[in-house]
Amino acid sequence: MSLKYGVLGLLKGEPLHGYEVKNRFEAMLGGTWEVNIGQIYTTLQRLERDGLVRPVGRRGDRGKLVYELSPEGHKALDQWLAEPDSGPQQLHEDIYVKLLLATRIANGDLQTLLARQKRAYLQRLRDLNRLEERARRDGRIDLARLVRGALLHTEADLKWMDELSSERFGEAGAKD
Amino acid sequence: MDGRTFLRAFRGGGGKGLSELIRLTDVTKVYQDGITGALNGLSVTVEKGEFTAIMGPSGSGKSTMLNLVAGLDRPTSGTVAVGGTDLGKLGEAGLARFRRDHIGFVFQFFHLLPNLTALENVLIPAQLKGNAATGRARELLERLGIKDIADRYPARMSGGQQQRVAIARALINNPTLLLADEPTGALDTHTGEQVMELLGQLHRDGQTILLVTHDPKLATRHAARVISVMDGKIVDDARLESPERAPSEVIRVRGEEASR
Repeated sequence: MSLKYGVLGLLKGEPLHGYEVKNRFEAMLGGTWEVNIGQIYTTLQRLERDGLVRPVGRRGDRGKLVYELSPEGHKALDQWLAEPDSGPQQLHEDIYVKLLLATRIANGDLQTLLARQKRAYLQRLRDLNRLEERARRDGRIDLARLVRGALLHTEADLKWMDELSSERFGEAGAKD
Repeated sequence: MDGRTFLRAFRGGGGKGLSELIRLTDVTKVYQDGITGALNGLSVTVEKGEFTAIMGPSGSGKSTMLNLVAGLDRPTSGTVAVGGTDLGKLGEAGLARFRRDHIGFVFQFFHLLPNLTALENVLIPAQLKGNAATGRARELLERLGIKDIADRYPARMSGGQQQRVAIARALINNPTLLLADEPTGALDTHTGEQVMELLGQLHRDGQTILLVTHDPKLATRHAARVISVMDGKIVDDARLESPERAPSEVIRVRGEEASR
């Protein structure tokens, strides 16, 4: 979904051909989202079909087609930017399903799962810290902000693990 | 006798290989008024040059652990050894000497003396040792980026400045071990990060650091080892890796492949 608006956003700056869109998109995302050129062309074709971009000529020795934003494209982009993200919370990671299954299969004993997952989150925090540092060093404050969001999310995940393990400790204590 | 020779050997080492600096063996600490902060048979070793973070909920015993290593408190049972010296074998005077010569302690609320200037606060531990050390104190203030406030009193400093002064004070006697108990707990996020950055710099320069914190973001930024304490026991001891990873190995924005 946001690849579409990412492309629109980049074309708002200036008309670009497909490869330029791909390169700028990847540079903007700082390597956190790699797209293949096929996806870009498909996206551009759909945007053209929907009247949000239009070709404005060819450029370069291979005569690549250059696109610009149509007035409708401008409108669609502005609307999208102004809209808050709503809809369901996205839980992509396996841990959510693992937790449910472990509760059934391991008869409520989640301790091993939680301990391992906690370590993975700690390691991720360390990796994210390094990524944030690198982004700041490169003067990419926008990327550093994105990484910061990931850091805070992972901190919450860690807190969740802690909460689940102390819940478990509490139960054990009650049985004593 | 008080183990100073051992400690000197550790400090002077300079070799690349790690050597053991702290050893806690089956340490328990029982408090008469309930179980808060009690230790429940805790064993751990820390190597020289490590930056270790201790995390855990409040009352889990992490501060108790730090206080025992600092020689500020004694265990109910078990042994605490630093630099090969069993702290339990030291009398009160020996323990005081141990703290003065080998431990630098940074607290959450700075604990500066209000009627002394920054420079005078930094000098206290050196004076207890009978050293003038004004040159080193000024050097430290410069290194910590606060030389301009050398003559200022704590009331006229920001929290971040006060904590820097406290760090300088902790370092004045060139301690074997720097202990920090929630050093960013009273600071805003940005100032906390700066203080943490300083600790990271000290570690890169070879300082062994034991940090108690509840902020895993800050902990993992500099500490490569994170010990989790719960109910007076170590429940996890994680050694983290620091490889250069491609951004996409760390974060994937909209991870799933778009329509093919």
